[in-house]
Amino acid sequence: MEIPFIVNARKDTGLFNSKVGIWLFLASEVTLFGGLFSGYLFLRLYADYPWPERALPVLPGLINTFILIGSSVTVVFAWAALKMREWAKFQIYMGITIFCALLFLGLKGIEYNAKFNHQALRLTGEGSVQDFGYLEGHVHYARLDGDKLVEVTKEEKKENPEGVFSANKIIFKASELSFTLKRPAHEAYVKEILKQAGDKHTITLVEDYRVIDADELSEGSKNRTQLEASDKATVVKAGEALSIDDLDDMEEAFLDARARDKDIRTEFLRASWAWIRDEKGITEISNLVITTDLWKERMEEDAAKIKDLMLNAGSTVSYKVDPPLTLVLKPTDIPKLAEESVKLRDDTVVTGQLLPSPMFMGIDAIDFRHTALRAEEEGIEPMAAIAQSWILTHTDSHGGNDLKKAWDCHMAWLEVRKKQLKEKDEDFVPTETDKYRVNWDQIVAYEKLGYDVDAVAAATEDGTLRKSGLFDISGFAGANHKVHHFPHVEIPRDKVGFTSTFTPRWNTYYAIYFTITGLHGLHVIGGILVLGYYMFFGRKMYDSNPEWLANRVEVGGLFWHFVDLVWIFLFPILYLM
Amino acid sequence: MADSVEEIQKAKKLYLVILGALLVGTLLTVAVATIPALDVGGHGFDSSDAILGLIIASVKASLVMYFFMHLNHEKPLIYFFYGLGIVMAFFCMWLIGWSKSDPIQYGNSSKADGFYNPAKPATNVHGHD
Repeated sequence: MEIPFIVNARKDTGLFNSKVGIWLFLASEVTLFGGLFSGYLFLRLYADYPWPERALPVLPGLINTFILIGSSVTVVFAWAALKMREWAKFQIYMGITIFCALLFLGLKGIEYNAKFNHQALRLTGEGSVQDFGYLEGHVHYARLDGDKLVEVTKEEKKENPEGVFSANKIIFKASELSFTLKRPAHEAYVKEILKQAGDKHTITLVEDYRVIDADELSEGSKNRTQLEASDKATVVKAGEALSIDDLDDMEEAFLDARARDKDIRTEFLRASWAWIRDEKGITEISNLVITTDLWKERMEEDAAKIKDLMLNAGSTVSYKVDPPLTLVLKPTDIPKLAEESVKLRDDTVVTGQLLPSPMFMGIDAIDFRHTALRAEEEGIEPMAAIAQSWILTHTDSHGGNDLKKAWDCHMAWLEVRKKQLKEKDEDFVPTETDKYRVNWDQIVAYEKLGYDVDAVAAATEDGTLRKSGLFDISGFAGANHKVHHFPHVEIPRDKVGFTSTFTPRWNTYYAIYFTITGLHGLHVIGGILVLGYYMFFGRKMYDSNPEWLANRVEVGGLFWHFVDLVWIFLFPILYLM
Repeated sequence: MADSVEEIQKAKKLYLVILGALLVGTLLTVAVATIPALDVGGHGFDSSDAILGLIIASVKASLVMYFFMHLNHEKPLIYFFYGLGIVMAFFCMWLIGWSKSDPIQYGNSSKADGFYNPAKPATNVHGHD
């Protein structure tokens, strides 16, 4: 069947059909991205935390803008080549377009990767402001030395990578594990615990897990004590080593028993409803009925009868760990930390002792904007609240505090900056970011001057303080810990309020950033597929109907221009504002 | 739309001029955002910088739409479709702005400059003191 209006225009629309189609699609895309930009606007206007202004490295974004703009021209040149029946030129221009698209994705990948490996941390503390100082940086490596976490350098890790992990872990000495049988989802944790236990620890069931045989109970020939003692009731014997199979068996026995008990309860309840309706003449059943003494008495009677009919299988099983095992857990495995007993995400209770689990990090930014915001809300002088932050009050293992030194330098810089701004314009004052945030390039500049407050002030005064510029390739995707030296800290776990990499988990800015740029990236991939198809498989159509292919490329090109169009707005909004 | 070889050759030259304008526009956006001497409004990022950045982006986007997407000589139906999309997008944004003037949820926020400013923390955010 011949497809109509692929080359010539329809009389009513004046357009070939696929053009109408692509413009309808683009209109829907404008609405889609318009909605997402509105989402950005909403999150920014109503943010209850300091919005990460100009938080992304500008250079990759700028290069990507050039790449997309350039590819917009080459795609239109590819279309022009087809119009002029120059197949070879069409392939060259289309090839460049696709290459640009791949380059764009590559740069985006570098940018995403930098975010996935960059750690943010919000501190917690005493007082009404509760610290709320932020630290940013890279998590170092650690290893267990007995019950202690020790830091491992990159070189040491290279030499002996065994037992080395990222230094953001909770260390818990476990002497007992209690698994709930209500949630049969323990496999991943059991595997991990058994792996960590190796053959140096035994993990054995503390008591027999027994469930009364339902048939024997129904027969009524033996009493409950006899039934509970019978071999038939044993599902897993005490002393058995922890295994997924045993847990599965116990879970199955528990769930079956619970289902049977539930059926009995439902049966009794139904009988009671029928009794109150038929025998007592209460025809209108409402919630009020259950508040009557009549109903309460009936329920007590039922409870006494049901008691002997139920299997009442235990819902938890405990395993003893001998000798106690020092478990290395991810912070996300434990919703709430406690000293003697913690619950894993599968509801398994680990009893024992929480061991010191500090984070080892190289710090490339200090941010007190949230502390200042909370201090102002509490009517406290921001700098007074900041002075109490752990960031400035702790001492490291060498008795010093490089973060405090960096902050002191920043205060010296700020004083000069205030003066300089005032000289420029009476109304000019430092921004919140100027005042309360020490960015990685500032830390680098201060460190180069040996954290000397006077030297920083003098260098700021005469304009020689060298902060990393826009085109500093060492900071292409943010702070580069391989090139620059950053303060190193050991952060006690009880000071960690919240920590995450720079992903949607950290804040709504990164949520909307990944949502919009991710969706835009998918459009780039879609463009590569469509334009690549024309380039690699378009020859046959070109030979038979070149105008048709030109029209198709025009339609594909329109989509590609739209991808460019979205980026034209994304770049300033996400990278520069 | 350019259909003859001469017209297409002419259009290609125009595309290169537009490319130049877009590159200059991009550099200008970065310059006004990062070079202190070109900072408009108060010191640092504020609503003036946001407006200027969005104006430059809008001009760039218009150039792409007008020349690369051939909206300089399209049929009325296309203007209608695309215009509808843009109207819907702006409607979404207007809704967000409009919600800000809700006196019950956000109090009297007519004086708010619309951007985060810890020096002027939002007060009365729940509509009661």
